[in-house]
Amino acid sequence: MASITASTRERPPARLRIRKQLVPYAYLSPTLLLLAVLSLIPIATVFYYSLMDNVIITNVPPSFIGISNYAEILSDSNFLQALRNTLILAVASVIFHFILGLSFAVLLNTRLIGPGTRALFRVVYILPWVFTASIIAVLWRLLLNPNGVVNFLLISFGLAGEQIEWLSSRQIALASVVFINIWSGYPFYMVSFLAGLQGIPDDLYEAGKIDGANNLGLFRFITLPLLRPIIISLAMLDFIWTTHQFTLIWMTTGGGPVRASEVLSTYTYKLAFSSYEFSLASTTAMVILAMSTFVAVFYVRNQRLANE
Amino acid sequence: MNRITTQPGNSSLTKILVIVGLILGAMFAGLPVLWMVASSFKSNTQIFAYPPQLVDDSFSFAAYLAVLTDPQKVRFFVNSYLVSGLVTLCTLAVGIMAGFSFSRYEFRFKRTLNLIIIGVQSVPPITLMIPYFGLIVALQLYNTYWALILTYMVFTLPYAIIMMTGYFNTLPRDLDEAVMIDGGGSFVILWRILTPISLPGIVSVGVYTFMLAWNEFLFALTLTKTTDMRTVPIGIQLLMGQHSFEWNQMMAMSVLGSLPVLILFLLFQRYFIAGMALGSVKG
Amino acid sequence: MKRKTITLLLMVAMLLVAVGAVMAQDAVTLEFSQWWEPELPAGEFRALMDEFEAQNPGITVELISGPYSTTRDQIVAGAATGTMSDVVGLDGAWVSDFVKQGSLASLSDLMVEAGYDDSELAAQIQLNGATYMIPVVNFVYPVFVNLDLMEAAGVMSPPSTRDEFAAAATAMTNPDNNVYGWVIPLSTEQPNGIQNDVMSWVWATGGSMMKDGLPNLVDNADVSSAMEYIKSLWDAGVVAPGAFAMREQDKVEEFTNGRVGMMVDTLAHINLIRERNPELNFAITALPAAEGYDGPRGLPYASWGIGVAENSENKAEAWKLVEFLMSADVNSRLSSIANAFPGNVNSTPDFVQTDELFAAAFEVFQAGYLANEFVGLPVAETLMREFEEPFQLYLDGDMTLDEFLTTAQDAWMAHFE
Repeated sequence: MASITASTRERPPARLRIRKQLVPYAYLSPTLLLLAVLSLIPIATVFYYSLMDNVIITNVPPSFIGISNYAEILSDSNFLQALRNTLILAVASVIFHFILGLSFAVLLNTRLIGPGTRALFRVVYILPWVFTASIIAVLWRLLLNPNGVVNFLLISFGLAGEQIEWLSSRQIALASVVFINIWSGYPFYMVSFLAGLQGIPDDLYEAGKIDGANNLGLFRFITLPLLRPIIISLAMLDFIWTTHQFTLIWMTTGGGPVRASEVLSTYTYKLAFSSYEFSLASTTAMVILAMSTFVAVFYVRNQRLANE
Repeated sequence: MNRITTQPGNSSLTKILVIVGLILGAMFAGLPVLWMVASSFKSNTQIFAYPPQLVDDSFSFAAYLAVLTDPQKVRFFVNSYLVSGLVTLCTLAVGIMAGFSFSRYEFRFKRTLNLIIIGVQSVPPITLMIPYFGLIVALQLYNTYWALILTYMVFTLPYAIIMMTGYFNTLPRDLDEAVMIDGGGSFVILWRILTPISLPGIVSVGVYTFMLAWNEFLFALTLTKTTDMRTVPIGIQLLMGQHSFEWNQMMAMSVLGSLPVLILFLLFQRYFIAGMALGSVKG
Repeated sequence: MKRKTITLLLMVAMLLVAVGAVMAQDAVTLEFSQWWEPELPAGEFRALMDEFEAQNPGITVELISGPYSTTRDQIVAGAATGTMSDVVGLDGAWVSDFVKQGSLASLSDLMVEAGYDDSELAAQIQLNGATYMIPVVNFVYPVFVNLDLMEAAGVMSPPSTRDEFAAAATAMTNPDNNVYGWVIPLSTEQPNGIQNDVMSWVWATGGSMMKDGLPNLVDNADVSSAMEYIKSLWDAGVVAPGAFAMREQDKVEEFTNGRVGMMVDTLAHINLIRERNPELNFAITALPAAEGYDGPRGLPYASWGIGVAENSENKAEAWKLVEFLMSADVNSRLSSIANAFPGNVNSTPDFVQTDELFAAAFEVFQAGYLANEFVGLPVAETLMREFEEPFQLYLDGDMTLDEFLTTAQDAWMAHFE
């Protein structure tokens, strides 16, 4: 099965063939070892918890209860709301991260400004990315405080009549959290696109221009299709990571007010560390795993198509 | 060597649009951070003053002095560098090999393995914490740098592998063939040919890995115990007390923590200069 | 004389070294995980530990310090993996669940083994008849009043009844100047505002949210009247905006900046407010009671509690550390540096004599009694959150008082089966 894509001219002897077949596994072995021990074992444990009752914080021994945790979680209206909010957060983040990341990468790739200025802009543009999530949460809480600088500017410029309760109003808390997540996450796309743009050969653009394409056309027919593999990988990873986003939401709104910005991660955390329902928390983890795997299957299938 | 944004003909209009766009984007990205920097020079009370001022009479370096003269906090920085640096190197080495394998070989279980590698990061880390913690204790890694390094590798490898597979996929296979005709093996193809050409991709993966390791909080807190093993995000969280926060010191510590990362990025950003990659080698 | 002292000291030191060398064979290291060290002035807590080590040769204390907000999660994880420290700092809201987990040792047993007389202890947190936590120091929550705002509003003295409080809050409120009479932190992340700023109104009038160990929120006049009272203040617009995302740490900044006339707050903040805004002129008074109530007032409080891990191999030594921290002299000193009230009845922190505000607070403390009904309840933090959600809906006018209290009662009952 294993074959490097170069055409094999003559069949090598069997022993060599087997050794050759092992080559790809050899390259993968450190990864597989690490993930098997440090990832699969804990996941299997969490799966086991999800089928049990009374784990960790308990005065009775755990008992096997099958899928009834799943039934309980899936019929909980708070879970469904958290699921809905998570999807809103994830989809909005993926879309805006993509738009901002790509626009900024294209802007930063320009040769209209000198290399020094460009380097400076590049550094400014990745700023949101270099801070730990808890400090981003603290910063945005300051900015969006009713007496914070955002309201001050809006009121000074006459854009708002009164102080807006960005994080403490049930109507806009989720939108504010989504905005903060977009702000803090786009540089990851931008840097990946910056790298990806370097891989597009200039002669493609030359050829495009000879065919009479304008800037938009070049972007639409050359840049986008060539970045497509990166775009798909990023979108998938971002979707999965955003469903895990915890600190940022926990430290800005805590999922409130009245669960208005509750997402699966805050819901799970409260179950685990506030209500000590570790079985139920493990169950939601498994539901999230199932969702993410669905996305991953789609991605792997897409990869295969791209390779063919 | 014209790029997409530099078409002849409408260049002056384009230039103005690009510069306006760049400045607007920089404001979006930078103004909140500017506020953080400004806050790090204020007194704790002035941070909450209304109307807010960017710079006021409470301006001082006190918060920075408090952070820099505390040997404990300096130790947090050292730990963070050490862990983040090692994680970046290890992740890149392991991830590049795995990406090469996925990009250049067909083998049994390839799709399944790919799916598993992506799948393992699909469980929210917070729910894995307790079983994971137990495992680290059982492996006798508790309160060591290796606990953090291996953990962050688990977090960063899926991304590194996906991205490296993607970058290697964009590189033409003629390169491999040329090496094979010269009698070189897969090792030479990977480390001598593909890796140097993929530097922009490697840098972007490296930057990501470094950032993640630098900023991770939850596992850093759980898997270490003693103060001499703690990292910067925990140092910042220690300033968030039960009853009050040291706002300006938190800000100062974040600013200080971000500086080396920014300098690193500034050094590496030249790898994003057009023409480094594929375009220049595809003859 | 001086030389004599030095000689004596040297001899003591040599003796200690000798004893230490003998004891070194079975030296014990106690791990003590807590969030106190970072909250105290640098080095002060370690100094106390050094003193303990000097008194108990052969025992070393390793301080494991973490941020308060994650201490509980760390204890849970530590207990689940057998890495819990020998001695742990505790909050009353966690005790019930750790006892259920079996991770805390019964301190009653340890006291008996050590022959300890517990009459000095101001409080012990007991479950099923055994002590699991001892409050080392307590932070009570009286009302802080901004005197400048109060006088500018024409109010003569700090309020002592609900009506006076409402009148003062209304008079101080001036939205055009961005000044409000009162502030309630009701963030979902830290729901302890329910305990300190909301339920405290019930306790201040001698009321209770429990009956026979079970939640009693419905048809409870004390609870309904307090909730209706808070709702009336909310509707009158005297509560500072942003309440639903506000935490205790934000509340104090609003007060320090002179934007809030009054707040229910921990004494731990007195020095902080002075340090951050030396110009602020403020006083401390008891939490207002309902009109006509003249019984003792319940004072909400938070504790730095201490417990011993069930899986500790050095429980006897661990108890020695607890005993050390609870001894009259050490407890006085710890209270002094923490600006808290002592857990030993015979301790008196210095600041009670030297500081007017603390003296006033001490009077409030002595006239009332410590009341925090959430201490020792199962999943206490979840209870606060389950109360908070319908409470927010009630304040917003999306629920009636009955709906709110019934919802909270039903949610609470699910944890008391």
